[in-house]
Amino acid sequence: MNEQRRMILVLSTIAIASGLILAGVFQWTKPKMDEVTQERQKTAILEVLPGAVSYKEVGNNEMVFEGLNGNNQRVGIAFIAEGGGFQGDISMMVGMDVDERKLTGMTVLSHLETPGLGARIEEESFRKQFVEKSVDDPFVASEDIDAITGATISSNAVSNILRESISRIIEDDQLGGSQ
Amino acid sequence: MIELLLLFVGTALVNNFVLVRFLGICPFLGGSKKVEISLGMGGATTFVMALSAIAAWFIQNYILEPFGVSRFLQYVAFILVISCLVQLVEIILKKISPALYDALGIFLPLITTNCAILGLALYIPIKNYSLIESAVFGIGAGVGFTLALTIMAGIREELEFSDIPAAFQGAGVTLLTAGILSMVFLGFAGLIAM
Amino acid sequence: MKIWAEFIKGLWKENPVFRQLMGMCPTLAVTNAAINGLAMGLATLFVLLCSNVIVALIKHLIPDKVRIPSYIIIIATFVTIADLFLAAFFPEIQRVLGLFIPLIVVNCIILGRAEAFASKNNVKFALIDALGMGIGFTWALTLLGIIRELLGMGTVFGLQVMGTNFTPWIIFILPPGAFLTLGVLLGIINTFSNKKTTKTSCH
Repeated sequence: MNEQRRMILVLSTIAIASGLILAGVFQWTKPKMDEVTQERQKTAILEVLPGAVSYKEVGNNEMVFEGLNGNNQRVGIAFIAEGGGFQGDISMMVGMDVDERKLTGMTVLSHLETPGLGARIEEESFRKQFVEKSVDDPFVASEDIDAITGATISSNAVSNILRESISRIIEDDQLGGSQ
Repeated sequence: MIELLLLFVGTALVNNFVLVRFLGICPFLGGSKKVEISLGMGGATTFVMALSAIAAWFIQNYILEPFGVSRFLQYVAFILVISCLVQLVEIILKKISPALYDALGIFLPLITTNCAILGLALYIPIKNYSLIESAVFGIGAGVGFTLALTIMAGIREELEFSDIPAAFQGAGVTLLTAGILSMVFLGFAGLIAM
Repeated sequence: MKIWAEFIKGLWKENPVFRQLMGMCPTLAVTNAAINGLAMGLATLFVLLCSNVIVALIKHLIPDKVRIPSYIIIIATFVTIADLFLAAFFPEIQRVLGLFIPLIVVNCIILGRAEAFASKNNVKFALIDALGMGIGFTWALTLLGIIRELLGMGTVFGLQVMGTNFTPWIIFILPPGAFLTLGVLLGIINTFSNKKTTKTSCH
């Protein structure tokens, strides 16, 4: 077999073998990976909606969820709020009590902020100010929101993202939900 | 248009690939003492980066995503395309500028293992850039890389005349210098909210 | 014994981080905490072991001209396997290491050992070499991680070590801290060795 043909044959074989092996490993790990994603989402939703024991998606929007209590009644909605932060995107799960027009909690899903500074948006001390907060508040850092010392941009980012998402959620009026 | 400009400045300065994102450290550390060669190296790398960014966009959006194989074939696909691009650039460079080709020597094929290129390619699907944004991102990354490399070469030229303790000569003092440079670049933080 | 010598060289004399200056990108990027350094080291060790063994096994079947692309495909395959495995069973680690897991593909240690050693030795020695280099890489990264986490956050592996009066030197978990810590460590190690590390061996 001449040299060129051999080169092509060897490379193709290795490439095909690689593809098949990877497809196989992916099939094997996919269920577990999906489980992990679901777990993360569930933990976040239940954390921001105290009193909820289960949830379901609202409409065809994969970012809005309805939290249900033990009697299958709605306790509120949870939605994913995301936007640009200091170093990258910040993604948060926010809980809202629709009837009382206030937030019930916020947890950070992912971020790339600076450790020790912007990353402190994950801390309880920063997040708890969003519990029982009225959705009609201005959501401006250093005004109605306590910013983190040394992390002005991250604090601003969180305030802006929340403000925009909240107004969008209320506008969309996805608040029909299950009765 | 203004967003593209902000993207370019953000990538070249604020989130500099070498000094902030830690990509492309190996050529950065082992780089030359001559500013001209660093510029040439940076230029070649920028060219490969721009092409890789565009190639990555096409492969992700026209091959990997439509067939649903992105999660497990992305790394293999990207690195293969990058090594092909580097081969291509080598051939082109040999034709149009044999002098530069010789000056860069072994560093040219090494561009394949420059983590900045693969890192760049991997960022594009993550950040969901459009084709134009990907190209600007690639060029910005290359310019930032060239900037870091050239500054370091300039400083190395000066350090030649200093009396550096034996234990720190070479890589040691380069790393300490890089640390200070990195602090300087931290000052760009907040210039553009990305 | 030859086996022992091949194993131990990766731990100190030819340590990939401190003597050969290879794999600098992950070394600087993920050592902001000890556990991250350790995890990256172990993931790299896994890929190094697998790729060295496979390359040593099939080295005679690969024509010389296509050996680099072949090695690259093999390495990228094992890196993907490591990534999927971590995402499924150690999701928090995978999230923290993020982009740097796929970047193991271009970690010069792996291609370097495949090219310099595994393609020229039998499987047994390739395995030993990978083990030594991989463990050498791991302990170097873990050490760097411990120092940076200790000074930058006051903790080691998440456990509070420094007292409450200690104000963390945040710079150490930021990019400049990585460069400075490695530079100083390198200087210290060079002071006590006869052979100084001055250049990177990423060839």
